[in-house]
Amino acid sequence: MEAGRILHIAIPWSPRPRRPRSSHLPNFPRFIRASSIQRASYKGPKPGRDWIADWVSKNDDTVRSLPIYVGGASLLAVLFNRAVSGIAPVADASSSQSRADLLTLGLAVTNILAGLVWLSIRPKTITPVDPQGVECQVIYPHLSQSVVSEMFWAWESLSAVTCCRSLVIVYDCKCIVQIGVAAKLQNDDNPVAVDAAKLMQGSLYQGVLKSGAQSYLANLSLYPGRSELPFLPSNTQAVILQPLGDKGIAILGGDTIRGFTTSDQAWITYVGDKLDATLAKYMSNKPAVVQE
Amino acid sequence: MITITAKSLRLNPLIQLKTAPKFRPRFASISARLDDSQQQLNLSVLRFTFGIPGFDESYLPRWIGYGFGSLIVLNHLLGSDSVTGAQLRSESLGISLAAFSVALPYLGKFLKGATPIDQATLPEGAEQIFVMSQNVSVSQKEDLAWATYVLLRNTNTTSALILAQGQLCVRGYWDVPDGVSKDDLLDWFKIKIEETGLSDLTDTLYFPQVGDAEFWRMLPQGTRSVLVQPVQIDPKSTNNETRNTEGFVLLASSIRYAYGDKDRAWIRAISNKLRSKD
Repeated sequence: MEAGRILHIAIPWSPRPRRPRSSHLPNFPRFIRASSIQRASYKGPKPGRDWIADWVSKNDDTVRSLPIYVGGASLLAVLFNRAVSGIAPVADASSSQSRADLLTLGLAVTNILAGLVWLSIRPKTITPVDPQGVECQVIYPHLSQSVVSEMFWAWESLSAVTCCRSLVIVYDCKCIVQIGVAAKLQNDDNPVAVDAAKLMQGSLYQGVLKSGAQSYLANLSLYPGRSELPFLPSNTQAVILQPLGDKGIAILGGDTIRGFTTSDQAWITYVGDKLDATLAKYMSNKPAVVQE
Repeated sequence: MITITAKSLRLNPLIQLKTAPKFRPRFASISARLDDSQQQLNLSVLRFTFGIPGFDESYLPRWIGYGFGSLIVLNHLLGSDSVTGAQLRSESLGISLAAFSVALPYLGKFLKGATPIDQATLPEGAEQIFVMSQNVSVSQKEDLAWATYVLLRNTNTTSALILAQGQLCVRGYWDVPDGVSKDDLLDWFKIKIEETGLSDLTDTLYFPQVGDAEFWRMLPQGTRSVLVQPVQIDPKSTNNETRNTEGFVLLASSIRYAYGDKDRAWIRAISNKLRSKD
């Protein structure tokens, strides 16, 4: 999708080739002070690659079970050592050999337990489900340029960073924005339009507005209120309902069950506040709209 | 800031686990859910906390490694006169295991699903400031104020500085030298930025650990990681300018490895908001 692609192309993040951290920093010349910021190319240090962090992130599974293997192998090695040296495997603290063995065994057990704890916190990978529908981009026609660019910014950010694939914003009984994948009408390829009035009378909208807080439907197939969102693709996996002040709502459809993390939710709340401020200011400033 | 509220595990296709998030008392109840034909093996019983505030149990292998390692050395020194080969082997194995245990919390930090260990602390001796350039338009002022507010609230940032379209906005905890008055604060920051030459940055810079760069001197004491995100010009825009960045967002935090992938992606999105709109 083009809107999402822009962000990926424009910002390559590639760390520079590493320079050792302890190297002496280059002295760059001081520039003449002026009232505005001078343009000068950046000659400061670039951060070195973090090899260990990269390696661990790439071999996540191996690293998780590594302590178990290390602990298990050393456990066996201790017993083997005892057997080979002809000492009876008796666990008492009488001789220094036994003490050393006991301490090593304790460390091996610690490693095994740490490995098991790491295994227990592995997050489950859930595959995203491609939403079925048609791409659309419906913007309310009487908006000013700044509001439209803000809407587009919100859509680009959400689709690039989170698993959001459809965005619908309803404000002041009007459908302001419908971007992304929308459900198809039965007979033709046009997207299902958003009926703002019907949505606002529904229980989902009323509930969200009454609580004033974001509502996260992590697994949409489990919720009966699904029928109130006919414009979203039928296989949307997760939905976030973000109230915009007390006059609107933003509906984000995601393609993964529990795809929106806690930090995503917090960010979406703040983005929603910003959109609400922009729309409220616009609505109070605009001249009267010609009714159709 | 990223926490995973539900974790599950796949040891092999036959065993599926669902673990509860971290729990406080020693003997908390663990919920197990039976799937149709799958056996449940709940490893979350191994996760525990002593309930001591400020003591992080994921660092336990490190303390055990130090403790047992020093005991092994002590045992060696105070032991009987003749040290057998078997004992030496055992002790060397123990020392290497201790070293590995000490390194475990550091490795565990980079695994997926690990919760950040450090809590952000406020830098000492810094004061909270909020300054903005004088001649900004109303919409720009709102954008800058909102962007700095969101970045300070939602990420592990303690100090934020934004330079966009020639306008400067500084918010958060900064070490301001004593002689500078409120009015000169902006000029002081401008001078510091010129010295560092950050205005012409083209790539994102992320220093997850303390560095000794020139521009670190501008940041408050106690800064441990820094992210500088240039504000990229919209490639769709019609101007054919030679430069492709017009400012930067500088975020400093008092904990190391403060900005994960998700955080950086959102910060990039916020910096796109500050682009000039043609």
